[in-house]
Amino acid sequence: MKYLDCFRALARQRTDQVVITSAGNSSQAWWAATRDTEASFYLDASMGLSTMFASGLALAQPGLRIWAFMGDGAFCMNPGMLMVERQMNLPNLIHFVVSNRVYGATSNAVLPNFADNDYAGMARSMGLDRVFELGSVESIERELAPISAANTPGHTFVVLEVEPFSEAEQKLEQPPFDGPELKFRFGRYLEGRTDCNVFGYRI
Amino acid sequence: MSGGATQVANQIADELAGCGVKLVASLPDNWLMGLINALDGDRRFVHVRVNREESAIGLCSGAYMGALGSAAVMGASGFMTVVYAITKINYTYEIPLFLLLTLRGEVGDHHKHHVSNGLYLRSVLDAIKLPYQVIAAPEDIASISRCYHHTRIYSRPMAVLFTRDFLIGRRA
Repeated sequence: MKYLDCFRALARQRTDQVVITSAGNSSQAWWAATRDTEASFYLDASMGLSTMFASGLALAQPGLRIWAFMGDGAFCMNPGMLMVERQMNLPNLIHFVVSNRVYGATSNAVLPNFADNDYAGMARSMGLDRVFELGSVESIERELAPISAANTPGHTFVVLEVEPFSEAEQKLEQPPFDGPELKFRFGRYLEGRTDCNVFGYRI
Repeated sequence: MSGGATQVANQIADELAGCGVKLVASLPDNWLMGLINALDGDRRFVHVRVNREESAIGLCSGAYMGALGSAAVMGASGFMTVVYAITKINYTYEIPLFLLLTLRGEVGDHHKHHVSNGLYLRSVLDAIKLPYQVIAAPEDIASISRCYHHTRIYSRPMAVLFTRDFLIGRRA
């Protein structure tokens, strides 16, 4: 499936989920698909930490449902995170690995062992039960809603198999925010939605 | 663990709880085991064991965005691996982060393999302009909450550095 088609399909399936993106292509694609300026945190400035960031948020706000995206390049930098995620076992978090077998933000340089990496198998080997693999827009439209809505305890891990960014997709705009603006937009949104106090003062 | 070390660990836990810390993410250093065990058994905290120090940075940063107080506990060597995560997440987005570290490689550390931390830990902290305060005696414990609150004012990370003698409950 085309990368951007995948994210457009995810956006159509989204209801009230808060979204954390990762460095590189997932931020570009989610921004292109949604232009979300409030309920998405574009965590461009890190690799391999978006789901840890999302786990902290999910723990803090169990009433929120959270989607966290991570490219497989970032995933391979910190696969041990799955042990932490399994240990935390947060039912309100879905970890999406966007698998295109390349470092998409770095001219599609291929990953080590790219052809044989089995991300779902890795997740299962670390004890995750709710592991899903979606490889087409149709499968997202058919399967994601029940996966996302399931009132099942436990952490959910979804592998999205996509093509690397095309030349046209590489030109997609990066989310344009300065870091502090993004922090305040997202934090104020969460304050309004959950009545929590992120910054120590409410406006 | 000595009675003095247990007392120190419990005092640190009280100080953290008093300033609103609920989530503690840790990766061990031998000096910290008394503290980590105290935090793990204390129902005021959710203690998450991580297997890479950067994961603690991510967890605590996300918890901040959910209005949950947090602290990352790790050794000096662990800290030396997280410069990327801190500069990219906490400085780019100006997200507060509170770090509890060991002051390895200085007087009182018997391990030669920590000499590098003695040589470079403070230099690295200074290089990335990450303020820190040394906690060397029980009278310093109150500084922990002051430093925690400073992260919220400063909107960036701050660290406290524990000496060995302090953690084992020995007067220098």
